[in-house]
Amino acid sequence: MRGVLASEWLKLRTVSSTGYAIGAATAMIALGAVWSFYVGGLADERGSVRAAAPEAGFLPLVQVSLAVLGVLAATSEHATGTIRLSLSAVPKRGVLILAKTGVVAALTLAVSLGAILTTYAVSRVIAGDRSLGFNGTAFANDLPGLLASALSVAVLALVGLGLGFATRSTAAGIVSVVSLLFVLPGVVRYLPSPWGQRVSSFMIPDLVPQMAGVRFRSGGAWQDGMLPPWIALLAMLAYAAVAVGVGYWSLKRRDA
Amino acid sequence: MWNRLEATNLMDVIELNELTKRYGDTLAVDRLSFRVEPGHVTGFLGPNGAGKSTTMRLLLGLDRPTSGTAHVNGRPYTSLTKPMREVGALLDANALHPGRSAYNHLLCLARTNDLPSQRVAEVLELVGLAGVARKRAGGFSLGMKQRLGIAAALLGDPGVLMFDEPVNGLDPDGVRWIRGLMRTLAAEGRTILLSSHLMSEMALTADRIVILGRGRLITESSVAELTSRFASLEEAYLSLTAGDVEYGSAAPSAPAFDDRITR
Repeated sequence: MRGVLASEWLKLRTVSSTGYAIGAATAMIALGAVWSFYVGGLADERGSVRAAAPEAGFLPLVQVSLAVLGVLAATSEHATGTIRLSLSAVPKRGVLILAKTGVVAALTLAVSLGAILTTYAVSRVIAGDRSLGFNGTAFANDLPGLLASALSVAVLALVGLGLGFATRSTAAGIVSVVSLLFVLPGVVRYLPSPWGQRVSSFMIPDLVPQMAGVRFRSGGAWQDGMLPPWIALLAMLAYAAVAVGVGYWSLKRRDA
Repeated sequence: MWNRLEATNLMDVIELNELTKRYGDTLAVDRLSFRVEPGHVTGFLGPNGAGKSTTMRLLLGLDRPTSGTAHVNGRPYTSLTKPMREVGALLDANALHPGRSAYNHLLCLARTNDLPSQRVAEVLELVGLAGVARKRAGGFSLGMKQRLGIAAALLGDPGVLMFDEPVNGLDPDGVRWIRGLMRTLAAEGRTILLSSHLMSEMALTADRIVILGRGRLITESSVAELTSRFASLEEAYLSLTAGDVEYGSAAPSAPAFDDRITR
């Protein structure tokens, strides 16, 4: 297993798409700094502003970039035909997908945590003692939200990996992940009450604040979460588990 | 090359037993049984679509047989823990990530079976790609990709080797090199299954021949026996597969055409 993990890590490291995805994800830091300077300037004119925190506002950028990395970790093998080489070297398909899961989860968690914490720190330094709406709270209070955000990125990357193995197509994999992140939450909101809100609370964007147990905006309105943090956490992990499970089932069942 | 002469493993065999693979309505491999023994090159022949590549994929556990068994060293491939140390295969030279260097391509494979990185350098040297080891494999010619695929097959120094049309795209120098390599590997006591459409080349390389047609075994014989019964290996092949050519001009071989319209 250690050898297979080393191999999967090397595979990720030696393709340029990994670098591009990480570059796009860490662009959050620069965008967060620009945003903080901009709202800081507004605050200088008006006294104070109620701006969104950049590590929350730019989170979808990190989520999508690293979800694409997850999709590519699976589909580039099918697109290039190297899946046959990989499965000849590692005939136990569960071992192969487990190693990919571990490497993708570890890398995306590390990158997203780094990007989110750096963005957080940089934006607070730029904010200084001005009141920008996002910088009034203590780090200890904000930390659960930051960790939940980073976890959501790793989960989306694994959803991408699983759906990549299930669809064997980069385009289909990316469309699936983007739908799950942006399209589906918008659609389920229009389910008849009270199902709209109930189902919405299990959508990935709403699970992030619920894991941290904070008030959040959903569909334009501020609300308390319906789910206790640990249920939200389990629901979030279930997305990854189900997607990777479907990917494994598809890889196991079909001819390579 | 590591010397296998004293380490010749009598278990180094490929064995198919009633192997069958059906894709929807198509019977790609039809109750195929044969054995490939160590110590010589076994040529694997048949028209396009005869089932050669499918047979190799079934042997490697990439496709699941509909029925029957495909065993390597007495076991199904998927039960091998370090398969690259027992079996090496080149199925498709284009199966590589174009952005990855030749060295990293091989290192990714070597890592999975705990093979040392020094072995990667050895096989690159052996196939003549040491000079371009750090170059992107996507920029390689087909001949260079074939050499890289052969390097991958040899990584684990396996006793059983399968090559699916490795001569395609090679220059005359490369063709002669493959011929020598195959004969050397066989002389070292390895089991070699080699598919090709180049009959004259096969006559120079192989000792035994397995011919498939429409997924079925047509002939299992030695090259010497075939060339004594027919004018040449090419004549033998064309006569034996005359009724089994699925794709191609029907004109010279009327039986194939008749066969098709009456089915």
